[in-house]
Amino acid sequence: MAFEYIQGQSLMHKLDPRTKVLFFLLVTVLIMVVYDPIIMLGLLGVIVLMYRLSGIPLSKLWGITKALLPVFIMFLVLNYFVIPPRGATVYFYLLPGIAPVTIETTLVGITSAFRFVLFIWLSRLLTFTTSISEILIAMVKMKSPPEIATSLGIAFSSVPLMINQFSTVIQAQKSRGSQIEVKNPIKKGISFIPVVVPGIYLTILRGMNVARTVEARAFTYNPKKRTFRKKIQFGHEDYVFLTISGLFTVAIVAIRMLYGWFDYTFILRDVLKLV
Amino acid sequence: MTSKAPVISCKGLTYTYPGTTEPALNGIDLEVERGEIVLITGPTGAGKTTLCSTFNGLVPHFYGGRMEGEVKVLGQDVREASAGYLSTKAGMLFQDPSSQLISATVEDEVAFGPENLGIPVEEIAQRTNSVLNYMELNGLRERPPFALSGGQQQAVGLASVIAMKPEILVLDEPTSNLDPIGTINIFALLRKISREEENTIIIVEHKLQELVDIADRIVMIEDGKIRLEGPPREILAEDAVLLYERGLQPPQVSLLAHKLKAAGIPIEKVPLTVSESLEVFSKPLRALKEPIVELREKESEPQQITSQPIIEVENVSFQYPGGVVAVRDVTAKFYKEDFVGIIGQNGSGKTTLVKLLNGLLKPTQGIVKVFGLDSRESPIHDLIRYVGYVFQDPDSQLFSKTVHQELSFGLKNLRVPRDQWESRINSVAKMLLIDSLLKEAPYSLSRGDRQRVAIASVLVMEPQVVVVDEPTTGQDPRKRREIMELMKVLHDKHGKTIIFITHDMDLVAEYAKRCIVMKDGGVVLDGSPHEVFLHYDELEKTHLKPPMITLLFKELGARYNLRKDILTVDEALGYLKSKLVS
Repeated sequence: MAFEYIQGQSLMHKLDPRTKVLFFLLVTVLIMVVYDPIIMLGLLGVIVLMYRLSGIPLSKLWGITKALLPVFIMFLVLNYFVIPPRGATVYFYLLPGIAPVTIETTLVGITSAFRFVLFIWLSRLLTFTTSISEILIAMVKMKSPPEIATSLGIAFSSVPLMINQFSTVIQAQKSRGSQIEVKNPIKKGISFIPVVVPGIYLTILRGMNVARTVEARAFTYNPKKRTFRKKIQFGHEDYVFLTISGLFTVAIVAIRMLYGWFDYTFILRDVLKLV
Repeated sequence: MTSKAPVISCKGLTYTYPGTTEPALNGIDLEVERGEIVLITGPTGAGKTTLCSTFNGLVPHFYGGRMEGEVKVLGQDVREASAGYLSTKAGMLFQDPSSQLISATVEDEVAFGPENLGIPVEEIAQRTNSVLNYMELNGLRERPPFALSGGQQQAVGLASVIAMKPEILVLDEPTSNLDPIGTINIFALLRKISREEENTIIIVEHKLQELVDIADRIVMIEDGKIRLEGPPREILAEDAVLLYERGLQPPQVSLLAHKLKAAGIPIEKVPLTVSESLEVFSKPLRALKEPIVELREKESEPQQITSQPIIEVENVSFQYPGGVVAVRDVTAKFYKEDFVGIIGQNGSGKTTLVKLLNGLLKPTQGIVKVFGLDSRESPIHDLIRYVGYVFQDPDSQLFSKTVHQELSFGLKNLRVPRDQWESRINSVAKMLLIDSLLKEAPYSLSRGDRQRVAIASVLVMEPQVVVVDEPTTGQDPRKRREIMELMKVLHDKHGKTIIFITHDMDLVAEYAKRCIVMKDGGVVLDGSPHEVFLHYDELEKTHLKPPMITLLFKELGARYNLRKDILTVDEALGYLKSKLVS
């Protein structure tokens, strides 16, 4: 599920959701200025460490990563098609005459693929450690209308119910001989119609029922004055965490701008003098 | 403040839903006093829910449509007040429990209403705690509501309405998903609330006998009009037969009294409860000169089983991936001649057991053999040729443009030769009385017809065994009987084996030839209803209760040496007549 929350007492769990949003922005800046794939790999290592510290089973991480592999490869390959060799040694061409393979294009490809993985790992880390209700309260605190936050909350909590309903639909159609587990993609598409149509009907029905219930539970009575039970507050650890990650990011950006470090070949050429 | 003004007053209320021409409510005049408990009853489609929806303003504010006449709630004209405001005064519990659960945890669900009211956090916490304690839901606090059983969901829904502390509680069939003992508990709770908090309570229910001494007034609605109105004792005593004819469920003992009277047996007054009827029926029995000597306990024909079992369940357990063991070491055999009712408390494993019978689920331990096929080794595709499974909600399967296409779905899947399609579809459609609807779109049909289409779409595959999961939930007694009559035809005329799940003990008593009682995933009783319903104590342990008439004969039988295994009103009538008329 895209918004699975794993309960825990780690630092990541305790941080204010707004801190996490800011942290996410900082890391985004960071990975935009760092081009070196080896440093990027190190950053990935840091994220894995954060998963460990947050008590999230690494099997979850592997589950996400497995799904990302095709995209990873796509990033790698596509780069050869779009980045010119700029006079670097071309080892060979992926296709005759196009997509030259050089050290530079390979490193660019690896970095952008890593960047992508890091982005997903980090956002999942934040959603694993932040409950929906925290996100919604953060939204309200950040001045989004309470109606939007509440509707989103209801939508998210309806997801498991909808999954249940869909699995009932699938069972009902299987009981009428529908073969949903066929391999042929076209047949599979067709075999999903009997699942999708009742699914859409049930979804619309759910929407109407929710609207009716929300009305009957006095949601429209006075939304501006609505009480939100859960409170979020900036704590000591939020300031410490944000200060450290902020300083770190600013330092990296400054070094990058002043000295041009962290380029694609930074570690290989400038530090290890290998290439 | 003890104002005499009615809490709710309707004058000449007529309401028509948008897009329809027939009014759903037609000239309703009704006044409800503070602290009253009003029971609204009537056949499906009578307008009960619509009437209730006017009290919190959903009609007309949410649904639109045309409203004439006047409805005032606490002196406010509902047309002038907003639905949001009215909802703070009249809290409504809707019929289908899962449709009204919107939060991620039970606690959030119960707190949702109070949060909307803008109550301080501490008070919300206090209200939530007390309601959850009161309803014995504390253990479920952190659970997501969708994962609860239907009965628990209904309790959570009720808790979330009560937590808002509205002056008026409007409850639309609050016990439709509860087992008999759960039902009694909820009604007792409502009485307590009305006494302690002086709440006004409007209950829509079919279960009349449980509410005899709880409701202050019965209002029976039919075709959008009030047909009967008065104190429950009067209405149920005088109009039991009329109510029954209208498809409702008056207390069985009242009905029996009326029928005995009509048969010329002197009955002094119409009783409403078992203890009352003991006195009433004792009189003519005592008047008999000779004591009745009745030794035979069982008149019902023991089921004639000549054939081999067609489904064999051997030491089967089933554990869901999450770890919940839903079926525990069940051994049962099903025969061609079976007409089995499976009963049991919410969450006792009934549905899981029947899903094991057509291969939707495969046992995690033990063997299920369906017509000789081991269900673990045979694809579901092969098993459904023998065992047809009709799901409770027709909307979770209908998808075609026409009923005809819907019925051909299974035939296509099973690769039945095309030249057989028409004859199969036509004969099943005739059997289920939907032959005139073959060109209609399933979604445009009434709920009852959609259910028939769903049943038909399974029957065209010509399975020997037909499994129906709670076909009667959310329907009025007449509709329930219609479905069971249909199952009876399938069984008697077409030789089908029927296995059905229900909460309605009266239906099991009347229709089933065999009854399986489940508790905590295991089978605790298995036999003819005549045997099973005599195990009063075991049934009570499983939260079940025999039909009222059986409880009456438990007492009468002990006093006058009568048979105890009387399950239906007609059975009682015939039996007493044979004793008293001669």
